[in-house]
Amino acid sequence: MRATARWAFADLRTHRGQALSIVLATAGITAALLLSAALLVYAANPWQRLFTTTQGAHVWLRTTAAADIGALRKLDGVSALSGPYRTEKVTLRHGADKAAADIRATGPTPPQIGRPRLAAGHWRVGPGEIVLEKSMATALWAQPGDTLSIGAGGAEQRVRVVGVAQTAETRYAPDSGPGISWASPSVVRSSAGASLPTGQTVGLRLSDPADTAFMVQRAVTAVGSDQVVSVATWQEARADAEGDNHLLGLLLLLFGVGALLAAAIAVTGGVSSRVLAYGRDISVLKAVGFTPGQIVQMFLIQHAALATAGVVLGAAATETLATRSPGQLSAAMTLWQGLPEHTWALPGTAVTTVLAIAAATVLAAWRAGRVPAIPAARIAAPGRRRMSGAARAVLRWRVPPALVLGCRGFLHRPWRSAAAVVRLALPLMMIAVALGAWATLDRIQHHPAQVGLAGQLTVRPSGLPDDQIRELLSRQPGIAAVEPGIELAALAPGQTETVTLRGLGTAARPYPFAVAEGRAPSGPAEAVAGQGLLDALHVTVGSWVRVTVGGTPHVLHIVGRSIEMEHGGRVLSTSYDTLRVQDASVRPSYYAPVLRPGARSDAVRQALTHASHGALEVRDSAAPAEQFTPMRGVIAGLVAVLALITLAELSTEIAAGIRNHAADFRAYRSIGLSPRQSVATMVTSIGILASAAAVTGAALGAWASRWLIDLQARHSGVGSGLAVPPSWAALTLLVGTCLAAAVAACVLPVRRAIQEQSMRALRTVQ
Amino acid sequence: MTQGDRTPDRESHVLRVEGLAKTYRADASEVAAVRGVDLNVRHGEFVALTGPSGAGKSTLLHLIGGLERPDRGRIWLDGRRVDGLSEARWAMIRRRSMGIVFQYFNLVSTLTVADNIELPGLLAGRAPREVRAAREELLAELRLEGKADNTPGDLSGGEQQRVALARALVNQPTLLLADEPTGSLDSKATREVMRLLTRCHRRGQTILLVTHDARVASSADRVISVFDGEIADDVTPDGSECGPSSAADIVRLRG
Amino acid sequence: MRLPLMALLANGPAHGYELKQALERLFGAAYPQPNIGQIYVTLGRLEKTGLIRGEDVTQSDRPNKRTYELTDAGREAVAAWFDELSHEPRVRDEFFMKLALAPQTRMADQVSLINKQRRHYLNLMRAMSRLAAEEDQGNLISQLLIEGAILHLQADLDWLERCQEELE
Repeated sequence: MRATARWAFADLRTHRGQALSIVLATAGITAALLLSAALLVYAANPWQRLFTTTQGAHVWLRTTAAADIGALRKLDGVSALSGPYRTEKVTLRHGADKAAADIRATGPTPPQIGRPRLAAGHWRVGPGEIVLEKSMATALWAQPGDTLSIGAGGAEQRVRVVGVAQTAETRYAPDSGPGISWASPSVVRSSAGASLPTGQTVGLRLSDPADTAFMVQRAVTAVGSDQVVSVATWQEARADAEGDNHLLGLLLLLFGVGALLAAAIAVTGGVSSRVLAYGRDISVLKAVGFTPGQIVQMFLIQHAALATAGVVLGAAATETLATRSPGQLSAAMTLWQGLPEHTWALPGTAVTTVLAIAAATVLAAWRAGRVPAIPAARIAAPGRRRMSGAARAVLRWRVPPALVLGCRGFLHRPWRSAAAVVRLALPLMMIAVALGAWATLDRIQHHPAQVGLAGQLTVRPSGLPDDQIRELLSRQPGIAAVEPGIELAALAPGQTETVTLRGLGTAARPYPFAVAEGRAPSGPAEAVAGQGLLDALHVTVGSWVRVTVGGTPHVLHIVGRSIEMEHGGRVLSTSYDTLRVQDASVRPSYYAPVLRPGARSDAVRQALTHASHGALEVRDSAAPAEQFTPMRGVIAGLVAVLALITLAELSTEIAAGIRNHAADFRAYRSIGLSPRQSVATMVTSIGILASAAAVTGAALGAWASRWLIDLQARHSGVGSGLAVPPSWAALTLLVGTCLAAAVAACVLPVRRAIQEQSMRALRTVQ
Repeated sequence: MTQGDRTPDRESHVLRVEGLAKTYRADASEVAAVRGVDLNVRHGEFVALTGPSGAGKSTLLHLIGGLERPDRGRIWLDGRRVDGLSEARWAMIRRRSMGIVFQYFNLVSTLTVADNIELPGLLAGRAPREVRAAREELLAELRLEGKADNTPGDLSGGEQQRVALARALVNQPTLLLADEPTGSLDSKATREVMRLLTRCHRRGQTILLVTHDARVASSADRVISVFDGEIADDVTPDGSECGPSSAADIVRLRG
Repeated sequence: MRLPLMALLANGPAHGYELKQALERLFGAAYPQPNIGQIYVTLGRLEKTGLIRGEDVTQSDRPNKRTYELTDAGREAVAAWFDELSHEPRVRDEFFMKLALAPQTRMADQVSLINKQRRHYLNLMRAMSRLAAEEDQGNLISQLLIEGAILHLQADLDWLERCQEELE
């Protein structure tokens, strides 16, 4: 309606400063949310990262040598081809380990599409050289410089590993098909076996990744279904890689939603206080003929306009500037912009933010519709209560009156004060949850043994007899003890999938499993299980399970639950000796030396390699550190958003407090309080509010973070017990900062308000 | 001295009120502000409500304007029954057929004078150009031409009340309600406002005015005394019956 | 003084001293003390005009008292007095006397007295306003006189309101 719009914009013009600050705040929050989303995608999806940076192919086809690849090039929807590469299926051997692999013939430079990313060594393969895919290299315990033998049908070739690379294809696992490696065409040719046919591998990059299933059908038809050996899609590869990262991903998503909710609540508070500040004008307008609905409409128009302006500004700034900013932010933004989800995620976030703010505005502005239409009518204030006996007594004891009056001001309307405390505590609680997540990350990163991650070093026996290896290891000064270990794929009864059976430690020296419930295995046939295993087999701590490894049964008594970060928690851990007892053919597949406290893993590794003259293979255990830095970035970003929201809520509370107590200031003057004391009463009031909110928020947040992380850990199979609440120091810092910010933020406005009051009093006297 | 006309001719009555009552309840005490008031106002009449403070005059005016809900009673505006309407419907009636002027706080402090006056016009759905023309005409008549872009804070009390009157009249309402419009003004401003009101009245505007000022009341067609929530007396003052015919008589009177 | 005394006698016969006491009791300290001599003189005059009738009452240990009572003519005169309008401002006193005596005599009603007086003032006010409009704007003296009268009228009307508030 014209009249409503006229009022809305005239009012905005009058309060230009306020409008601008609201727009900027919204822009800031939007930008922070978007950046956090980008970092989240970046952090929680390493596969996606890899796929984008390697220009991955969406479909990989393995065909016979005679297949007509040219037909694929002409297909509608295929934007580029990778290959075709002549491919042979071989068996790679490295010492005792062997694995089936496809070798692809490649040129001196890596291909454009599906370009493998080098993790070690170099790409240029000459004759007798090979580059392995990373999971293959791990399975074979191979590094650049090692020599492998290719056996295919009898003739053996020796090749040297010159590089290890990563691709965005399905990783190698012993029972799931051949792994990937690249070599020069001459190597590939000479490894062709008589029985296994030569083939081709070609990768297709699609213009519309969502259409993959259809495109696969068309590709297979184009080449001829009898010519196709196997097909692999990017969705399979992603599912394969993605199992492990739900933990923090879901937590951070929950976080984003919570931040939006807190922002909405802050907006509600802000709009309510503006409504109250309006008071009389609304009455006049109602008397003139505005309906209550139109009044609410006006606030809605105003705040929707401001929110839209802010969101658009924030989104535009983020999109254009973030890619130019240093460090991980730009990498994350570039990645995110390249994703197909980006096209709807960005406007989706913007629209959701605007809608959330609009909904909050309507809720708050509904009160405006209830203001009486008579301008002089005072909005009924509940009766003031007499000062309690306690307060009077305290005054008699010469406690500074500012303190007492400040307390009273806070406690005077208990429900309103409680509501304010709750509103302020909400973002603070979420900050505490973020601190808890940070503390848990710290634990995972710096104390991996506490969370079930293997020790820092793993040693692989390479043909040396067991006792010699043990002797070599125990002679090292940095090593405190040696644990033999083995990991086997076992079949549980009734399961079509496999679980992992791990034997670690001896009866004399049991391995310190990270036990969350029950106890560590001590006697024979005792084991601990991960949450994933307990869920998969529907057993609890205290039951007996029977698993088979290649026909040999192992019967174990589960005496405890351990925290398992690997294999989705479906791990049964027992001592190596138990396994040996139940199956005499078991040999240790690796040794996990326990380092003395203070010994550095790379120093010990170098010493070991030197002492064994290269016979021992020593490796750093998987260090998930690199995936944690972006997560920390996300947490920091969200904390920034929440801090902004807290500040907004604080300033609303301060403004409301000043307005409600304006009349009191005059009374204070007349009873003899100096202006400084009046300021002190208001500051005390706000200080109490901030402290109450901070303490509540910190306490609730510390508990909630533990509960949330454990909940998520339990569901992902890792098992509860992972979470660590934020440290006391962090919580104290939070409370202190909040209090300091509150006091700092309110001193100036309060002083200005008191000065205004005294000016007004002087004017009326004149 | 005739009593107010009690036998209504329906068509010529702008306002008809029967048995209006309102009681305020606050913290276990009750105040009956208006008890059982009957009132009829004809087209073009200028009615003044007087009485001691707390007698219920303002409440009566608020009830008639739909700013408050009556506990009992019926109200007809231009023949249409309006007492049971919702707040939104009342707002729509007010914007088209009523102009209201209060003693204080008549104007929206964040809007300019021009916007303030034009607002009811825009609300009623008239074309902006038409409304602007009406506004300029009113401002000229009120001798406030230069003030169109000022905010209410820049104006004196009298000027604000004149602007408020302009705002109330911009839609040429059926009924003009005024609650102590001169209550907070000095004598000069009071005279200005009264001159305006009489001018409007002569043009046919129906006015219902609450006032303390006897001079203001005496310029009305009818003076209704409200006492303790009820109508105590309904007078049509006629200055021709009595009174001095020259200043000399006054001197003698005072002596 | 004549008519108030007659109005008091409307209640019933009384002698001079009783009348004096009644006046004092009614008006208290706000009204100048009635002079007993003046009262007797007034009573004598009233008797002479036939509005009241006097009668001697013999007392054993004191000089004879003269008791007065109202005649029919006197009663009519009192009724007429109540019906009359007071024109001059100073007549306020007379008006107030009527107001004070009305409940005792049960011959007039306070509210209607007030209403009548108010109507009169309103008419006067209107006449004054018209006079001010018609009179030469340049003649400051007359304008000020009219203004003065209007202000007095305002004050009188306010006072009427107070009376209505307090006496109801």
